[in-house]
Amino acid sequence: MNKAIGKTLVAGAGLSGIRSALDLAETGYKVLLIDKSDHIGGLLCQLDNQFPTSKCGYCRMLPMFDRDKSSQHCLRKGLFHENIEILLSTQLISVEGEPGDLTITLKQNPSLIDSSLCTGCGECERVCPVLVNDSFNEGLTKRKAIYLPSPQSFSNAYTIDYTACTRCGECEKICPTGAIKFTEQDREKFKILVVDDEKIVRDSMKEWLKEEGFSVTTADSGQKALELMDDRSFNMMLTDIKMPGMDGVELLAKAKEKNEDLCVIMMTAYAAVDSAVDAMKQGALDYLTKPFDPDVLIAMTKKVYHEFEIAEGRVEQVDALILAGGTQFFKPELGKNPYGYGVLPGVVTGMEFERLISGTGPGKGKLIHPKTSRPVRKIAWFQCVGSRDVQTGAGFCSNVCCMISIKEAILAKEKFGPDIEATIFYMDMRTIGKSFDEYKLNAQNENQVRFVRARIHSLDENVAKGDGSLVARYVDMGGNIHKDDFDLVVLATGQRPAELMTEAALKNSIETNQWGFIETGSFSMVKTSRPGILSGGSLSGLKDISESVTCASAAALEACKIMHEAGKQIIGAADAGAIDADDMEDLAVMARENPRILTVLCSCSSDFSQRLDLESLKSHLDRIPENESVEIMDKLCTDEGWQTLIDMIQKTNPNRLVLGACLPCIHKHRIKELGKAAGFHPSLVETLDIISILNQYPDLEISKMTQRINRELKILISKARFKNPVPNERLESNQNALVIGGGIAGITAALSIADCGYHVDLVEKNDTIGGNLVWMDKTVDGLDIQEYLDEKVRQLESHSQVTIHKKTSIESAASHPGEIATLLKKEGETNDLGETILHGVTILATGGSQAPLEPDVDDSLKILTQKEFEIVVQDRKIEPEKLNTVVMIQCSGTRDEKHNYCSRVCCIRALKNALFLKEKNPDVQVYILYRDMMSYGFFEEYYTEAKQAGVIFFQYDSANKPVTEMHEDKVLVKTFDLLLDMPVEIEADCVIHATGILPDLPETLADQYGAALDTFHFFKEADSKFRPVDSMNYRVFSCGLSLKPCTIEEAVATAEAAAIRAIRILSHERLVSGKTVADTRTAICSLCELCVDTCPYGARSVDRLEEKIVIDPAACQGCGVCAAVCPSGSAVLEGLDMRLMLDSIDMVLS
Amino acid sequence: MGQVSNERLLEQTETVKEMIQTCIQCGTCTASCPNNEFMDITPRHMWRLLLTDHADAVFSSKSFIMCSSCYYCTLRCPRGLELTHAMSLLKQAASKLKLKQFQRSSLFYEAFLDSVKKHGRVREMEFMTNYFISMKNPVIPFAYASLGLKLMAKGKVRPEFPFGGKGKLTALFKKVAELEG
Repeated sequence: MNKAIGKTLVAGAGLSGIRSALDLAETGYKVLLIDKSDHIGGLLCQLDNQFPTSKCGYCRMLPMFDRDKSSQHCLRKGLFHENIEILLSTQLISVEGEPGDLTITLKQNPSLIDSSLCTGCGECERVCPVLVNDSFNEGLTKRKAIYLPSPQSFSNAYTIDYTACTRCGECEKICPTGAIKFTEQDREKFKILVVDDEKIVRDSMKEWLKEEGFSVTTADSGQKALELMDDRSFNMMLTDIKMPGMDGVELLAKAKEKNEDLCVIMMTAYAAVDSAVDAMKQGALDYLTKPFDPDVLIAMTKKVYHEFEIAEGRVEQVDALILAGGTQFFKPELGKNPYGYGVLPGVVTGMEFERLISGTGPGKGKLIHPKTSRPVRKIAWFQCVGSRDVQTGAGFCSNVCCMISIKEAILAKEKFGPDIEATIFYMDMRTIGKSFDEYKLNAQNENQVRFVRARIHSLDENVAKGDGSLVARYVDMGGNIHKDDFDLVVLATGQRPAELMTEAALKNSIETNQWGFIETGSFSMVKTSRPGILSGGSLSGLKDISESVTCASAAALEACKIMHEAGKQIIGAADAGAIDADDMEDLAVMARENPRILTVLCSCSSDFSQRLDLESLKSHLDRIPENESVEIMDKLCTDEGWQTLIDMIQKTNPNRLVLGACLPCIHKHRIKELGKAAGFHPSLVETLDIISILNQYPDLEISKMTQRINRELKILISKARFKNPVPNERLESNQNALVIGGGIAGITAALSIADCGYHVDLVEKNDTIGGNLVWMDKTVDGLDIQEYLDEKVRQLESHSQVTIHKKTSIESAASHPGEIATLLKKEGETNDLGETILHGVTILATGGSQAPLEPDVDDSLKILTQKEFEIVVQDRKIEPEKLNTVVMIQCSGTRDEKHNYCSRVCCIRALKNALFLKEKNPDVQVYILYRDMMSYGFFEEYYTEAKQAGVIFFQYDSANKPVTEMHEDKVLVKTFDLLLDMPVEIEADCVIHATGILPDLPETLADQYGAALDTFHFFKEADSKFRPVDSMNYRVFSCGLSLKPCTIEEAVATAEAAAIRAIRILSHERLVSGKTVADTRTAICSLCELCVDTCPYGARSVDRLEEKIVIDPAACQGCGVCAAVCPSGSAVLEGLDMRLMLDSIDMVLS
Repeated sequence: MGQVSNERLLEQTETVKEMIQTCIQCGTCTASCPNNEFMDITPRHMWRLLLTDHADAVFSSKSFIMCSSCYYCTLRCPRGLELTHAMSLLKQAASKLKLKQFQRSSLFYEAFLDSVKKHGRVREMEFMTNYFISMKNPVIPFAYASLGLKLMAKGKVRPEFPFGGKGKLTALFKKVAELEG
């Protein structure tokens, strides 16, 4: 391969960073994934349960095909993928260059712990004398300065909190594997110059700093100091300000002339702080006031030293950069703090509540009051803390808090019983997704969560009761004041831009909006103002999991386009490291050989021998005939130990290996290394993580523990004995795409795939493309929709890789492994047989439309839907200038029994139309009748703007809907003002109904491609949170309105996400299956097809010509459901056959 | 509204309406108001009436007169509205229009300020006497008698009428009148 492989840097390894990285890595590009923290996973590591399942589901983002390239365990534990390099504790400093050629400077914190050696035994933590607040539990618990970054971490590697660590060295002494190495000797390289005219000050400072291991030189005057600086260089200078002769400030200026990088700290008497501050303006780093505490001096010196340590930047050459720095939460203790956070007992943030109820939190799964340890019964959630509140600088809605609070309320009830009383105080319940409204109703009706529409002014302690309970005063809709007692108050804190990321953005001249979130371009949720730099996830503001994932994928698509345009290559399947065809013969030979098993036990520098009788274990295992030899080795995790193992393999020439060691040795990539070094096939290695078992049963006596380990090893030996080395299958895969639907989602998906070099067929049933955008004029932001659409259509029509089929529908479709055949039918064509298209992936972008008005009253332009209104205004059939009164009725036919979901866009559309009318005719009176104003995210601004423009909003409740009557040439709208408690009648010239969105995805069509519909007749996602555009069938995706109600911008993002998900598959000529896949013994199969219907992944189909069941090995996830359902035993799972199972059982029982 | 039409009232409350236009009726002001229980309609209700052009209903209630300018509502309003200021604008409108039902309060304020204007401080005896005279109702003083005696016993009210001590605040008051138009 003579061309370079494409590489993208993803900054931020949280949810969205991982999504972007995996999408690109699966496509075949190289990814460098960095994160400023010491673990991957981001915010989600702290959140155990997600709405709507009350479970996690992070792992669903892992690759579905070619699974052996990556880790297949919980993403909160960590991630491994062959194409992804992960750098933790690393920050982005600067970006130079153009797309396709970016030079990026990174800054990485040094690690004092070698994670490949750390076994996670926890000895270091035990001896560490430093106790600090545990940030993982939001400060609700304490931890040591050496700690596990998250309780789920897989490699269990410890990490050091540099700011808290005193470098006492206790951990270094006790570490059994020598994984901790303090670079004390490096401190000697850090040269400090102390300048003071008082000898006693000079000497004591020298002594203190020397004790810490730094090199110290002293000088008694400025002149002397400068002379010393001529001879040698210093890293840091501590100087007194008031000295005879040259004073400290003068010395600072002269010293800086000699050495610009010198860190200078001024020392001054308390009275002269002003001059120290002046000195800081001239380049001093900080100052110390005399007399000072040695601890303060040392802490400050360490800080400077730490910066010095990490100053060395790493420079990377990449094609594109994806910023995925995530979000931060509003800190309620800042500002006016009306709810007494940090002051009153029992006031916590949402994140703290999540930790409180977590099994890994302070209560270990029990809900206890964080301050008083009393049981908690009454819990209140306060919405909009730091959102929709100009007093906290947030004129926006944070989008996700409503759903988070409902989830937390349900969790509290589910986990701690129905006695928990949960109340949510809110302003508008923003259930802005297709299943959100249903979820809220469930919470209300099934889980008895109380919803109160009120904003709490402030919170007080119930002094009369004196038990630490809190009292909240609020007013109900009728104006009555209530006072309620609560044990715990949860503040639904809003979002804020991620600090470090914003800093990096500003430094690299990436535009941000007025609140500091990254600004994305028009009609795009991922393109920043700088070409080549993309924003994934919630960095550009306020997204839930599914939106973050969608945006992350969209960003990956843009990066993919950049790399393709720059002519960069992908790593072909040949380089993939899966078992090659050549190997297959060797493997077949090996499978027929008698097993010669080598069993190796690590003594872990005699740690294991203290808990285990290794010798008796060895003699037990030696009795198994297939066990060629059993060896005890030491410190396999070290390079030296590993080499002994390789030598042993070469010497004894076994054909199977069983390894009993600790985690670092049994990492998948380590085993693969073994394959390379000793010519031993990784699929013939069985591993046992002994240390985890030892840690799990800390009190088990030696004999019992030996028995236990013996049993576990015997199972593995049995497995090794019957192991049938199966090669990873290669599946020829079609590299063309079919996009159904020519709306904006379909156009974007088709263009995106075509831009990356793959052929696309686009099928549209009408004779024009553009879908709903055809009748739209402008967005609420004032962007010209027609101009945008025209440009897209022009690009599409002139693209060499796109074939457009207009006036065409899908006649039928059939899936085969690696390929889908679709029969098209052109409208009006009499020929029975239409064109057949062969393709590898299908994107369903069939769109949706505005629901009709029921009953459709008349055509006199008095009662209209939003769409009808926009069209008649464009046609000048209604002239805004001539209108006096317009009434808009929201949720007309949606969010009711029939269409039980929020259509998301209608409130924004109403605001847009209201502002349009007010602009054209300031005298027109506009009334908006609504249930909850869904002006989510930054759209909140338009709500405020509409109010400012004089639009009057009436809230109504679902039980008492507004009614309209024709009254001569006017429409009489009757509603009820809930606040004034009186009926209202409005005589309107025109009434505009927001009827919501209906999806247009026929069930038969989805079914033909193996996709399914949800209860609302939208496309059913494989997982609504973590795989938001995928179906369970790995070759079928959806985007736009057929997926969910969405704005144009959001539709484009889903289309881009669907495109990259498709490109992941299209980029491979041959797809590699996982190691464990199902097979069918055709000879005994009766073709009952039970397995075909049962397979959740659509991996099984019937080949009608050959009359047999065929399996798509790339689709099969090895779940084994087919084997369970098969009545004849013909469906089997390779590598997990009956013989092996029975033998394992025999082994354990023997 | 018997004496003044709704249109006239709307004219007078135009500025207030503009001030509170972005109100989202969350009720924070009402829940926070310490005088809420003395009000016949809640502050939120009142803002809603103003927004929906029911100025007559606002002025037939006495809620805004009960505002003691504690600024609690202004402090916490999520829309950052200057609600206390809006309340005082309503008080001013009521006084300007000489609405009968607010006469007592308006005259009370006037008598208070007259005393301040004259002496640079409040002279309780003169102030109350002037107030009683302006009310033109001989029964009113009796309603205050017991409170007055209690205050007098504690030395909170000085019984004597002021002499001299001509205030120097005339210029200041003049300037304010000028500014307010």
